[in-house]
Amino acid sequence: MSKTDKLKNSQKEELKNLDILIIDDNEQITKMLTTFLELKEHKCTIANDGKEGLSIIKEKRHDVVLLDLAMPEFDGYSVIKDLEENNELKDHKIIVFTASTITQEELDELVTRGVTSYILKPIDIDILHSKLIEIANL
Amino acid sequence: MTVTETVEEGLFQTENPIHELNRMLVRYDLTPNQAKVYLFLSKIGVKTASEISKALKIPRTETYHLLSTLQQKGVIFSVFGKPTKFNAVGLEESLEILLNNEKNRINELDAGKASLIKLWNIIPKYGENEDTVQDNKFQSLQGRNSILVKLEQMIKESKENILVLGTEADFKRFYFTEFTELLNKTKSELRILTDHTPDTPHIFESVSSKKVKKIEDKNREDFCFIIKDDSEVIFFISNNKVKDTLAVWTDSQAFVTTLRSLFSLMWKKSHHIDETDAESLLGSEITYEHRLREIEQEKMILSYLQENFKILETGDNKK
Repeated sequence: MSKTDKLKNSQKEELKNLDILIIDDNEQITKMLTTFLELKEHKCTIANDGKEGLSIIKEKRHDVVLLDLAMPEFDGYSVIKDLEENNELKDHKIIVFTASTITQEELDELVTRGVTSYILKPIDIDILHSKLIEIANL
Repeated sequence: MTVTETVEEGLFQTENPIHELNRMLVRYDLTPNQAKVYLFLSKIGVKTASEISKALKIPRTETYHLLSTLQQKGVIFSVFGKPTKFNAVGLEESLEILLNNEKNRINELDAGKASLIKLWNIIPKYGENEDTVQDNKFQSLQGRNSILVKLEQMIKESKENILVLGTEADFKRFYFTEFTELLNKTKSELRILTDHTPDTPHIFESVSSKKVKKIEDKNREDFCFIIKDDSEVIFFISNNKVKDTLAVWTDSQAFVTTLRSLFSLMWKKSHHIDETDAESLLGSEITYEHRLREIEQEKMILSYLQENFKILETGDNKK
């Protein structure tokens, strides 16, 4: 194995333990998801509303951000709008993680604006995990 | 006085549908007396100026003047003879003529706009500079049309958001106008708060139901305002159907902020028009289906965790 291959592999290894930010007002989901992701040796930070989530995003860059859309007061759309207005949306790997009734057109529009990807609830937990790894390694 | 003369006079002197027609014709740029003469000739038929004057109790000089104007407008014509007699063009044709006259007048005004502005710009300004006048501006708007023009201007110029609070009666007044069409087409974020009756979906059929919420407070029947980009507002003062509607436009930040806060509070408390009561109970932004999907997601994570812990426990026991 060449030095470059070794270096590439070590970089891939590093990205298997992700630093994940979960922004969701559903505390059941955030707690259980954190337990699951920590079992998989990732580090999780939780924000239970959009405003708190936005301030965490601005403080520190995470490998991926799981963002719920429907939250009271400051929702996921407001988080996206704020980041977009400050030209910061494309600096983060934001994955919209929603149970809302949302059309494919609306989802595509979010991606065009700079959201990295989207995952619709409910999703099989293993598939969610692989998607997180895949997107973090993009 | 003959029986026919009595009927002729009575028809135009007492309260009856003719008076309603008269009021409606005034909207087509006829004066009340012009409308009266026109309707008289339409219903009674060929008459001399003297007969018209007598039947309608309008002075003879004025009657001649009215007949001359109506002839110029093209809605009556004279029949040659001595004395000259007059008759009316059919109502449908007359309305078409009056409407076209108005359209031509508007077109002429529109065509003259550019030259007027050009002339205006040639004349130097002697007063204070525009940028020194930073005071809050207030503009009183009387009547449906002047309000409509301002509303349309606000929606066309809006770049961020339009917040509308009003009853269905308010919206019905502006239905079939450019206002509702512009609201439907606006690219700004639109939020509408209104009361809710079976007519609501019909009025807002082109607006996404996500943008419309129903006002819970039924005491706000006469409360109506429209905010543009958090910078301008039109609020209705006299919202009475009988009287002429009166509204005030302002860019006063104090007014705008106060009404904006009120709107936000009411928006937060209200529910979307297509939500059922059960959905409303779950929160205005969260639908029943949404909640079901969340529960399903919770179950999926939970069963994974349970499974995983079972494996861990079994492993520990074996050890």
